[in-house]
Amino acid sequence: MSGDTQRFDWRGLVIPVGCVVAAEGAARVTGWQSDMLAPPSSIAVAFWTAALDGTLVKATAATLATSLAGLAIGAVLGLLVGILLGLVRSLDRLMEFSIEAFRPVPAVALIPIALLVFGFGFRMEIAIVAFAAFWPILILTRAAVAGVEPRLIQVGRALGFGAAARVWKIVLPAALPRIFVAFRLAAGIALIVAVTVEIAANPLGLGYNMILAQQTMRPELMLALLVWLGFVGWSLNRLLLWSQKSLFGPAALIRIER
Amino acid sequence: MIALPSLQRMCWLLASFGVGLLFVLLWYVIAQAKLVSPVFLPGPGRTFDALYYGLVEGDLATNTLATVERMVYGWLLASIAGIAIGAMIGVSQTARAYVEPTLEFLRPLPASAMMPVAIALLGLSDAMVLAVIAFGALWPMLLATVHGFAAVEPRLYQVSRALGLSHAEVVRKIALPSAMPDILSGMRVGLTIALILAVVGEMLASRPGLGQAILLAARAFQSADLYAGVILLGIIGYVSNLALSLTEQRLLRWRV
Amino acid sequence: MIMASRQETVPVREADSAAPLIAFENVDLSLGGRPILAGIDVSIRKGEFLSVVGPSGCGKTSLLNLAAGLLMPSKGRVAYAGKPVTGPRQDIAIVFQDYGKALLPWRTASGNIALALEAISYPKEKRGARIAELLALIGLSQHADKFPSQLSGGMQQRLQIARCLAQDPKVLLMDEPFGALDAMTRQALQDEVLAIAARTGATVLFITHDLEEAIYLGDRVIAMRPNPGRFDISFDIALPRPRDQLTTRECPEFLKLRRELFDVIKEVEH
Repeated sequence: MSGDTQRFDWRGLVIPVGCVVAAEGAARVTGWQSDMLAPPSSIAVAFWTAALDGTLVKATAATLATSLAGLAIGAVLGLLVGILLGLVRSLDRLMEFSIEAFRPVPAVALIPIALLVFGFGFRMEIAIVAFAAFWPILILTRAAVAGVEPRLIQVGRALGFGAAARVWKIVLPAALPRIFVAFRLAAGIALIVAVTVEIAANPLGLGYNMILAQQTMRPELMLALLVWLGFVGWSLNRLLLWSQKSLFGPAALIRIER
Repeated sequence: MIALPSLQRMCWLLASFGVGLLFVLLWYVIAQAKLVSPVFLPGPGRTFDALYYGLVEGDLATNTLATVERMVYGWLLASIAGIAIGAMIGVSQTARAYVEPTLEFLRPLPASAMMPVAIALLGLSDAMVLAVIAFGALWPMLLATVHGFAAVEPRLYQVSRALGLSHAEVVRKIALPSAMPDILSGMRVGLTIALILAVVGEMLASRPGLGQAILLAARAFQSADLYAGVILLGIIGYVSNLALSLTEQRLLRWRV
Repeated sequence: MIMASRQETVPVREADSAAPLIAFENVDLSLGGRPILAGIDVSIRKGEFLSVVGPSGCGKTSLLNLAAGLLMPSKGRVAYAGKPVTGPRQDIAIVFQDYGKALLPWRTASGNIALALEAISYPKEKRGARIAELLALIGLSQHADKFPSQLSGGMQQRLQIARCLAQDPKVLLMDEPFGALDAMTRQALQDEVLAIAARTGATVLFITHDLEEAIYLGDRVIAMRPNPGRFDISFDIALPRPRDQLTTRECPEFLKLRRELFDVIKEVEH
């Protein structure tokens, strides 16, 4: 690889720009009308209309609010249980079967249960997002806490720290970078699950508006929302990456081991 | 051959199984005392009855099969496409330069978000669900494969040049085995996604399968049937993941 | 393991004094605009064991890559048996320092050797026997079905050497092959390389930063100086063969050469 990684690589734009131009060109040339798809120009128009008349803002706010609320609940629970299981090995071993039994249940399978208990609305979606965000945070936090360099803990003991002090001063700070990576992962999952629940069942947010647009034969709005959703997800990820870098420095940028 | 765990490990496993049973006991107590309405939380007895009879006499078996079939077909399609395309992109630095930014942008897009588009194109049909499953499972596999091929130890390329291996031999003997860990882990993620999308697809398009079954059970307030279906979905998830993990371990015996 | 026998007065290892096997003719090398090597002019005779020493970053590895045909010179030419080098040849084998990265982790020891046999299209029926032979040569017969991750560093390096030998090479290019190993393993492998070179009559280009190793092993040692890399001085090593870890290293000629080489390197590092 040449050393000019600072220079922006224009080749990356070729495919997306090319696709947009081709789609637009094809639509114009053939004068093609459809209830199912729409050319980029209409999509752009639909996007601005939705942005200006408030539907976009409302829908985005709803989806983000539920994602955030669900993430918060799932993260707090996952963190607490994860730290506990990471510290107390025997407890971890006792819980092994139960965790492995509940983990594989897909969050979407709980949609009907949540519908039964909460009915349509925010609470049902938040509950499912919380369930979905809980697991990765639990598993990865547990791994992060259990995987703290044993030498550091030995140092803590040698310095005469009690158990609580060791956890607070050594274990948690050492595990923090990996915990943040887990959080980043869970945030992405939270958004995806929220939108999925909206598409499958819940009449609010971006997902619902997409299905509604499809059902009311407005493909340009549907696709506009899709693009917008992609942008939201991408910027959320970028935001979290940036905060990770600034909080922990480039040294802590760990690849997530699958 | 799978190595048997040590005696100590077996003891802990049994103990944790015991803890699991304690949770079931807790469940039983809560249901008996009606702390939560039986409409929301059926007791373990009713649930396992519904599970058993549903499988033996009712539709649960056919529904399970339908969901599993969907999941596996979509996943297989995605695997083949993902590995083939991923390999082609991964080995070429130029291809990666053109394609990777687009992939990076598409990565956070939920596959389920493609469902309205798929419905617009294919209607509420089995084909639509299969298409969404394949599309959704494709991405992790594609990304993992590209990464696997891109991350081949450069020293091995030098070795293959020194040995005078042909291009095909390099792909077959060096690049592919080296990328295998990434490919397999991508396949595992793809399978998880395939299951999720199968369920969502069935719910949305009302196609026969566990997804539709549990949604209907919820609408009819048949909580025992609902929970039975959810348990089955959990089992499907567990078994499929286990099968892939074991295969992965077997194929990757050489790992440190 | 093959140990060098008691020292006898034997003349310097006979090398074919006809046309050189590998010749660098006024070679310059620049990579990414930076000059790496300048005015390299050296010939290696057939059967000769040439050691190359020099401080880090003086282009020793690039020199080896040029001889291997993995790099092309910016100026001048590199010739093998009189003809210019255009690319890697199957009868030139390269032993890399990072053995862990140069072995296929998913193949067993036998499998790794087999790779070289597959490359040179060695007849299938005879492969098993050849692999067994080579494994016995480097003392890894017991570990034929082990994966590299299950072998120690020294064993992995021996395996790499065995794979190189499977190519039936006329030339062995070794890039600081023992740098990552402990002292005892290093000494054992030094003697093995000497034995292999003596038996097969291979020409060896041996890069190292260990001055004593360079003198112990070679017929000739060349010191390089950096920025850009060029040859500084060349010593002929008039030490008897076969070499012995104890007696050769105590020999006054050895100590004299060591002193001279040390002085050169010290001067170069300023």
